[in-house]
Formats: sequence, C-alpha cells, structure tokens
Amino acid sequence: MIRIKNIWKKFGEKQVLRGVTFDVLNKETTVVLGRSGGGKSVLLKMIIGLIKPDAGSIEVDGKDVTAMTYKELRGLRFKFGFLFQGAALFDSMTVGENIALSLRRHTGWTDREIKESLQYALHVVGLDNVEHVMPSSLSGGMKKRVGLARAIALTPRYVLYDEPTTGLDMETADGINLLIKEMRMKLGITSIVVTHDIHSAFVVGDRFAVLENGAALMTGTRDELQNSTDEEVRKYINSSLPMAEGHRS
Amino acid sequence: MAEIDPGIVDDRRFTFFAFIGEHSSKFFGHLGKYCALMWWTLRNIHNAKEYSRNIYQQMVTVGNDSIPIVVFVNAFVGMVTAVQSAYQLYDWIPRAVVGSLVVKSVLLELTPLMTALVLAGKVGATITAELGTMRVTEQIDALEALAFDSVSYLVTPRVIAGMIMFPILIIFGDMVAILGGLIGSIAVANIPAEAFIKGMKNSFETWDAVFGIIKANFFGFTITSVACYQGYFVEGGSEGVGKATMRTVVLTCLAVVVMDFILASVLL
Repeated sequence: MIRIKNIWKKFGEKQVLRGVTFDVLNKETTVVLGRSGGGKSVLLKMIIGLIKPDAGSIEVDGKDVTAMTYKELRGLRFKFGFLFQGAALFDSMTVGENIALSLRRHTGWTDREIKESLQYALHVVGLDNVEHVMPSSLSGGMKKRVGLARAIALTPRYVLYDEPTTGLDMETADGINLLIKEMRMKLGITSIVVTHDIHSAFVVGDRFAVLENGAALMTGTRDELQNSTDEEVRKYINSSLPMAEGHRS
Repeated sequence: MAEIDPGIVDDRRFTFFAFIGEHSSKFFGHLGKYCALMWWTLRNIHNAKEYSRNIYQQMVTVGNDSIPIVVFVNAFVGMVTAVQSAYQLYDWIPRAVVGSLVVKSVLLELTPLMTALVLAGKVGATITAELGTMRVTEQIDALEALAFDSVSYLVTPRVIAGMIMFPILIIFGDMVAILGGLIGSIAVANIPAEAFIKGMKNSFETWDAVFGIIKANFFGFTITSVACYQGYFVEGGSEGVGKATMRTVVLTCLAVVVMDFILASVLL
C-alpha cells in the first residue's frame, strides 16, 4: 500500500503541489487525473524518491520514502516498475539489451534465463522478435510497450505509468489501456496511472484522485467520481470527456 | 526594529554588490554540486570491475576514436615548431638545435596543451551531449528507477576512461609530433635528419615526457568530469543541452590553460 500524505513541492517561484493526500490500495489501479503541468509526473517520481518533496510523507508498505537514504531508495526501487512518458528507452542499446540491463545487474541469472525472461516480458506486452531492433526504429506505441516490458521484467509489486497514452493514436492507446488492465488482472500488480486523458482513466482505473491547482480536489471510486457534485470536479470531467469521446467516433 | 525598504535593492549604489553576491552564490552552488558529483564518482571507483564493460566502451570512445584527430593535430604541431624554430635561428647556431627545441617544446607544452584543447572540444562536447540528452529524455531517471546508481554507471566510467586514455593519447601525440618535426625539418627547413636526431637526443630528458603525462592525467580528469557535470545536471530540454555543450567546451579550455600554468609552476 502507498500512502501519500500532505505533499508540498515548489520549483522556483511555482508552487506545484499543495498538500496532496491520497492512498493507493493493493492490487488496484489508482488514476491521478489532472491538467498538463499540474505536478502529476512530479508526484509519481516522488514515490520512488527521484524527487524529494518540500513537506509531507510518502509511505510504501509502511516505510517513509522521504526519510530513506540513497541505499534504501535503491532497495525500494526493486519493488517498482516505471513507464516513462516518452518510454525513456536507452537509445544506444537494442530492445533486448534495454530489458536485459536490469536482469543482468540485479539477478545473477544465466544468459539463457535472461533471454527467456526478456522474451516473456516482450510476449506479455504483445511484441515478439524485436530483441535486436534499435529503439529508434520503433513507433511510439511500440516504444511504450518495450518500456512496459522493461518495467515489468523484474516482476515488481507496483507499476507507475506516466501519461501512458499521450501522443498515441486511439487504437494504440486502447492497446496500452488493455495492457494496463491485464497487468493488474494477470500479474496482480498495483498501479498508479497519471494522465489527463479521462477516457483512458475510466478504462483502466479502480480509484481516482483529481488534482487541481496542486491539490487533490477529490479522491474516490469510479462511481464517486462520476456522481461527484463538486463543481470543479464536474467541470474537469465535462471539459475532458467530449474530447475523449470525440476521438472515439 | 525598522523594516528594510524592499526598494533598496533597486538602489544603484548597491547594484554592483548585489551582482557580485548573486553570481558568487551561483558559482559556489555549482562548485558544491560539482564536488558532490565527484565525491559520488570517486567513492565508487573501487567497484570499477562492476562497470568494466562501460569503462572499456568509454576508453574506446575517448581513446581509439580520438586517434585520427590527435595524429593530425600533432603532426602539424611538430612540423610548424620545426619550421618556425629553423626560421628564428641565426646561421651561426648549429642546426641540431632545431631538434632540441622541437623535442622540448613538444614534450613539455605543445602536445599536451594542443591535444587537451582539441579533446576538450571532441570528448568534452560528446560526453555533455550524451548525458544531457539522456537527462532530458528521462533515460537517467529510468536508470535510477531500475535501481541503478546512475553516477557509477554513467559518470565513473567516463572519468576513469579520461584519466587512462588522455596520457596514452599524449604519448602517442608526442611521437607523432616529433616525427612531424623531423619531416618538417628535412622537407622545409633543409636540416639533415642526422642533425635533428642528434639535437633531439642531446636535449631529451625523461622527466619532460613524464611531466607531459602527469599533465595529461589532470587534463583527462578535468575535461571528463566537467563535461559529465554539465551533461548530468542539464536543464531546459534540447536548448539546454546545446548551451551545456557550449559551456563544457569553454570551461574545459579555460580550465586546461589555467591548470597548465599551475602544473608548470609547481612541477618544473
């Protein structure tokens, strides 16, 4: 379980997060919704200690991430897979090397075991026979799939998705949404998805946190979000939905 | 207690001091961050075996890939030194002195300095652009997310490779420059090879070559570490990478000439 408590963060003069608080329950997908530039990605990076909050705490399985040493943070990161917005594949390595990198460093497996494991990870995300391809030859959707394969290669408990469908056409985005659902159902992974795509959020999410002006406007289940009477939440859902539905048609 | 009028900071009498304060604060901020990065880089040096593959790759990039430019520059450095030395000597000075001048100038100063300045551009810019691009495309964050120590993985191998390969390149450059000097003497200044070699042998001292190698070691560390710092902490997207790369070339060139003076003052 991940508990995010009263997180504050300022970059220069800009106050990005103002007391964000919500919980992420085990084996559920929690979607953090909010407008672009609203601090969602910052929040995601704080969970694995890539960015330190100015105030507040983040507890992962009862341990406060903000108080951890660098060594403890590296230990914590074994529990996490992270899909970056642009996939962040290492462009000097092939797809196979991208996925095998952490397996080689952290497992002590033989070359054969590593190969089998990376092929399985690629198979899970629906990509076969691309181990020897360079990331520059892949489409945006394929890069995200490889990024996801790399994120799940070490079988993490938690996967963090940073804008997983941004910049993808609707068909590819649907494929990624399906994968996120499968990760939870097949592998029992707890996920946090940050997105501004409300359609994608409703497809993958079990619980939702809506960020507005750096604070959590509301947190709750799908029904609670859809039936919210809060004017700001309604405004956010209504302003986002037509665009998402427009894409569908 | 009386409050300070905020408008006082706009007072022209204080602008100069505000400028000095602001910039020295920035300078010490960068210096502190650079020292912290180097601390993390060097504290993991005992784990070099773990990163041997990366170190080897970087040695190839810093060393092997720089050989053509090192050969080209030093061949001309040697030739120009020989021709200009011959031009400056009077007829009654033995021609063998050209060989002495070339070997002394090349080993002590010209090859280490010229090679370092060229590599500041080539190696320094490459490292900053590589790490900077990795930073802005979140590849460094991805490494950290995969439980890697990104400094040990990216910075330590580059700095080690620089410290190993710069001296080797400069030994290589010394040989090419002396050969270039010999060719320049024979072809342009009409000095017989025997006279050049005789002069060279008379003035050669092992310490001169060792001094050049010591300088190369310092230059290698400075260029790669500054380049890594600029790339690792880059901000501002692709424009930021461009600016950081430019800063690397300028800063490393300045650092090299200042360090050249300090090392000469201390060691000679």
